[in-house]
Amino acid sequence: MASLRYESQVREPLVTGTKTYHDVTQDIVRPIEMKPSFLWKVGFTISVLLLLFGVYSVYREVVYGIGEWNLNKTIGWGWDITNFVWWVGIGHAGTLISAILLLFRQGWRTGVNRAAEAMTIFAVMCAGQFPIFHMGRVWMAFFVLPYPNTRGPLWVNFSSPLLWDVFAISTYFTVSLLFWYSGLLPDIATVRDRAREKWRKHMYGVLSFGWTGSTKHWQRHEALSLVLAGLSTPLVLSVHTIVSFDFATSVIPGWHTTIFPPYFVAGAIFSGFAMVQTLLIITRKVLNLEDYITMEHIEVMNKVIVLTGSIVGVAYITELFISWYGQNVYEMAAFQNRWDLSTPYGWSYWLMMGCNVLAPQFFWFRKLRRNLLFTFFMSIIVNVGMWFERFVIIVTSVYRDYIPSSWSTYYAPTIWEVGFYLGTFGLFFTCFFLFAKYFPVIAIAEIKHILKKNGESFKENMVEEERATPEKFAHEHAH
Amino acid sequence: MSFREQFEIPAKYKMWSMILMAVGLVSILIGYFLYGAGDEHQNARFWGVLLYNSVYFLLVVNAAMFFICATTLAMGGWQLSFRRVSEAISVAVIPIGIISFVILIALVLGHQHHIYHWLTPGDDKLILGKKAFLNPTFFIVWTVLTIAGWILLGARMRKISAELDERGPLTKEEGKRYVYKTTVWGSLYLVWFALTVASTVPWLWFMSIDAHWYSTMYSWYTFASSFVAGIALMTLFVIYLKNHGYLELVNQEHLHDLGKFMFAFSIFWTYLWFSQFMLIWYANIPEETVYFKHRVQGPYRGIFFLNLIINFLAPLLILMRRSSKRNYTLLVFMSVLILFGHWIDFYQMVIGSISKDHVELNLFDFGVAAGFIGLIMWSAGNALTKRSLVVKNHPFLKESIIHHT
Repeated sequence: MASLRYESQVREPLVTGTKTYHDVTQDIVRPIEMKPSFLWKVGFTISVLLLLFGVYSVYREVVYGIGEWNLNKTIGWGWDITNFVWWVGIGHAGTLISAILLLFRQGWRTGVNRAAEAMTIFAVMCAGQFPIFHMGRVWMAFFVLPYPNTRGPLWVNFSSPLLWDVFAISTYFTVSLLFWYSGLLPDIATVRDRAREKWRKHMYGVLSFGWTGSTKHWQRHEALSLVLAGLSTPLVLSVHTIVSFDFATSVIPGWHTTIFPPYFVAGAIFSGFAMVQTLLIITRKVLNLEDYITMEHIEVMNKVIVLTGSIVGVAYITELFISWYGQNVYEMAAFQNRWDLSTPYGWSYWLMMGCNVLAPQFFWFRKLRRNLLFTFFMSIIVNVGMWFERFVIIVTSVYRDYIPSSWSTYYAPTIWEVGFYLGTFGLFFTCFFLFAKYFPVIAIAEIKHILKKNGESFKENMVEEERATPEKFAHEHAH
Repeated sequence: MSFREQFEIPAKYKMWSMILMAVGLVSILIGYFLYGAGDEHQNARFWGVLLYNSVYFLLVVNAAMFFICATTLAMGGWQLSFRRVSEAISVAVIPIGIISFVILIALVLGHQHHIYHWLTPGDDKLILGKKAFLNPTFFIVWTVLTIAGWILLGARMRKISAELDERGPLTKEEGKRYVYKTTVWGSLYLVWFALTVASTVPWLWFMSIDAHWYSTMYSWYTFASSFVAGIALMTLFVIYLKNHGYLELVNQEHLHDLGKFMFAFSIFWTYLWFSQFMLIWYANIPEETVYFKHRVQGPYRGIFFLNLIINFLAPLLILMRRSSKRNYTLLVFMSVLILFGHWIDFYQMVIGSISKDHVELNLFDFGVAAGFIGLIMWSAGNALTKRSLVVKNHPFLKESIIHHT
């Protein structure tokens, strides 16, 4: 009998309390059916205002040109590309949770995957803005698409990693969106079936693509999930790998190093999980979802944070060590421009080290992993640290050119550069607030799938199986 | 259902392990007379073969302990039905660790400057600049610490596992305490692993052969290569025992997952291979391309592509299918192929740097490898007889019994 729903009692339950299938639906759909709360309205308004400020900042840049930013003769990439890489990185946790953890059969992903996938999509939307507007003449943005055109033999440069980025990120966005939305279908149908108002029934009816919950639908749904998971798994690695190629294919000391691809991927997952923590710690509280996003979920994600933070740490130290080991004066100088506190940006390197390598080490302690306030604080720290990682890589590698005469003046962003960044926060949170209001933030169907195995009250019924000797257990249940 | 918990070494197994070890010893002796006593270049070949073989098999058996600790930290239940097999393989870290240590020390103390140029830097400014890292004292101390750390922490992990056999079934609280304890020791091992295999050790033992050249990816690449080979070795042992009527709790589901690991980490290896190669090729800086020049365009061209065919194309095409990961024969074939493929990879990493002008791969290489294979068989076989094949009281064992991939 292979269908026995058993897991060791030593494991913490993933759904706490005595939940039935109906309770699950009720708890998760309720916020959608209620009027938006006061807090929601405040949050949403702030997000929209930020977004509008961002739109105005971008308007300035489009109308007056890149001169509205403080980019200068050696720092051709500044806040814009830093923000781009930062946002793309954040997206990675969602794909990892939805795809790789599905392949690894991690039950805990069900509590967090929906919100994480939504986060991925919004983060990629934010990321995309930066390279597009950095083009300066944004109305020419379609030039990045390779198509037979009327501009003579003018094609995109296929050997440029910047073009690979266009393909990688648009593929990533498409697959993530499909994955997220196909997962949503059964849940949207649930919302539709419970709807009392006509407009609601109609709206969710259209969005659910006529899902009926028949066996056939489920069968195809499961098959599709696996196929999409298989497609997304290489995407988790490829996207940030190609982002790292933007730097590593060059011959700029500090950028050109072979460890960049896997180290960028680890860093991306690291920052993504931090952002998931930031969002979910608030969401579970505001929407009363503590039974579904339990301390166990928070703890497991903190484990991922300490793991990926340490991988990133090994990579930082590897880079630093090899810059000395190589005995190449340019490499050594590039790294001295980072670690030497007396250099203009030395502080940012140590801020990065502190936030990304040292701070996560606190998560070796179980008490701290299960401390909500501390986790929330750490999630912010990690995101600050990961922003500075990209800042360090980009700015400290280019601000001192090969000849001192072209060493740039101190680079600090203008208000419009900052405004653009803030605007993407506005976009991100506007989308997230809308998502949390109109869609189930937890995958109802998937929680139901694990409920009888991982639910607290169901696990209690497994005491007899737990007590059985392995021989007896194997005799009865092995297949 | 009762389990066959006690492994008895079949006479044939014992005989083959002895024969292979004898072949290894004889090969080393013959190799010594053919190469070791010859001029400096031949001498370098003799020691180079010993170096890459010992370190390869050391990292491969050590990967079994890495697998145990990683799955412990990830709280993976599925692998418990063959946990004792991984443990037994990791015992081989002790003899191979000692042999590798002797070889590494002999290289340094014997002034094998054809392998480690940094032993006699002369007035080479670059190498002199690296003196703080590339010097005999640090090399010896770090090598001792590295291997001793793997042996001691690995022994500790196996001891914690053995303790389970002496106890009765664990209560929930005892189970939690047990999991906590293994997690603590498992993480200590992993931290040490990160500081050695994933960073310093491949630089020190291998990358320093090309004393001028460097690549930040090198260590992670070496790790990926040895880890996927380690999974292949575990698969071989699991299937062998299964075919001899042991490991009743292992079924196609577990093998399917081992197959997935082989598939996934073959792709991961390729990913690291590509990232390292492509970035060096793309930037085209002579200081860096010097490593690949004779490998891609020179005498090692055949081995260069063979490496990719065996370690990337074959797993990609053969292991992609679900049915091939559930087929004993195919899995055995792929495991042997992968073990061979990464052995070739280690061969080109070491010998490709020692002897740049011509490729020499002959019975000496294979004979030494056979010796290490025999040693692994002997060591793991003995370890398997020492303990029950089933970790009966492990809190997650039942999850492995009903495991469904």
